[in-house]
Amino acid sequence: MLSLALPGTSWAHRLPVGLKFGALAAAMLGLTWLTAPLPLAAALAATAGLYLSLGRRAVAEGARALRPVLWIVAFIAAWQVWEGVPMLGLVLGLRICTMVALANFVTLVTPLPDLIALIERLARPLARFGLSPRLPALAIALVLRFIPVLRGRMELLALSWRARSRRRPGPRLIAPLALSLLDDSDHLADALRARGGLAPRPATPPQGRD
Amino acid sequence: MDGSIEIETLTLEREGTRIFDGLSLRIGERRVGVVGRNGSGKSTLLRAVAGLIAPQAGRLRVAGVDVARDRAGALSAVGILFQNPDHQIIFPTVIEELAFGLEQQGHPRGVARERARAMLARFGHADWEERLCHTLSQGQRQLVCLMAVLAMEPRWILFDEPFNSLDIPAALRIEARIAALAQNVMLITHDPARVAGYDRVIWIEAGRVAADGPPDAVLPAYVAAMQAAAQDEPC
Ligand SMILES: Nc1ncnc2c1ncn2[C@@H]1O[C@H](COP(=O)(O)OP(=O)(O)OP(=O)(O)O)[C@@H](O)[C@H]1O
Ligand SMILES: [Mg+2]
Repeated sequence: MLSLALPGTSWAHRLPVGLKFGALAAAMLGLTWLTAPLPLAAALAATAGLYLSLGRRAVAEGARALRPVLWIVAFIAAWQVWEGVPMLGLVLGLRICTMVALANFVTLVTPLPDLIALIERLARPLARFGLSPRLPALAIALVLRFIPVLRGRMELLALSWRARSRRRPGPRLIAPLALSLLDDSDHLADALRARGGLAPRPATPPQGRD
Repeated sequence: MDGSIEIETLTLEREGTRIFDGLSLRIGERRVGVVGRNGSGKSTLLRAVAGLIAPQAGRLRVAGVDVARDRAGALSAVGILFQNPDHQIIFPTVIEELAFGLEQQGHPRGVARERARAMLARFGHADWEERLCHTLSQGQRQLVCLMAVLAMEPRWILFDEPFNSLDIPAALRIEARIAALAQNVMLITHDPARVAGYDRVIWIEAGRVAADGPPDAVLPAYVAAMQAAAQDEPC
């Protein structure tokens, strides 16, 4: 399956996960605060610098993950220009790109189990209400995990369509996409259940036999 | 403790269709093959034994564990390899995929990682640790699934058509790996030759046991019936 992950042991991977997400949250707040294009452009450049510090593969992954957003941004910017407020379009575009690129960066360099552990820690107060913190942790991690799968699935369906048709697929792929996602989620549920699912984990691990 | 699979008058329905109606089996052999036609219920049986689907009536225990209800206990009783490794792999990188099951068993994260690493080393693939699962070949992904299941050290390992879509060397390798396992094995296949050396073969037909016994007793009749079926039903 495809996924938004960059395996490795770079400086960014080694940072504690709490710090990474804390910094991300602070940066998001800061970005909503900036309203002039120049500081925003500087923030975007700094974000690009983060990717560059990890090498070519990180840049390529980052660009690939940002591409769908660029379309939306281009659309919004064009709209603002049409409305006669090009500056607003520029500010919005820069802000969205920087935010998404930063969020992607943190996701790329955070191993999924670290993220699960973080959410589990944050959700610990829920235990008082009898809810296992493992539940929201796995749920959020799996949603993140499956965003790229969704995109991959769409591409596969489009390919299979094009192999048998001269027209472009368009919205007619939505129904098969939904069905195939239901199928995927069945498989995922089985895979999860086969390894203990969301049942509370045993307090003591099994003793090795061999 | 007796490590057998005990199935007593099992009734199992899926979306209103009755697939098993009063099936009873007791399986304790080290190597058990399951054969039968498409749609006969082999995968459903395997999933039930793994505790992934709960029966409507009857009893199903593996090594004394009620696998459908006691999921924590089931993890050390039985592990399953799905027909398609992509349906099994949850995590992006190999090490995460291997460590997840161990964490689910209650091992602390550090220990889970350490054991996952040891498992990779045992199979001579220490370098796969940070590989993205989706960049591995089908045979390699299947090996990742096998290692993930083995790391959890269940008593039984269930295989659903593990040789499909593998080239000949990859299929031979996985066959040799299965043969070398210390665990009890239950394996579905359409190729009688794969289970000719097993201790027992169960032939399932439309949710019932059509024949059950040593391979010499079951396989010739199975092959004959399949050939007859091929002649009766033109495509
Ligand atoms: N999720 C489901 N919902 C409804 N019916 C199902 C479901 N899964 C399987 N079945 C039905 O149960 C029967 C047995 O299916 P099963 O997958 O166990 O067969 P199988 O012996 O593994 O076949 P194959 O050799 O093709 O893999 C089939 O008739 C199938 O249509
Ligand atoms: Mg099957």
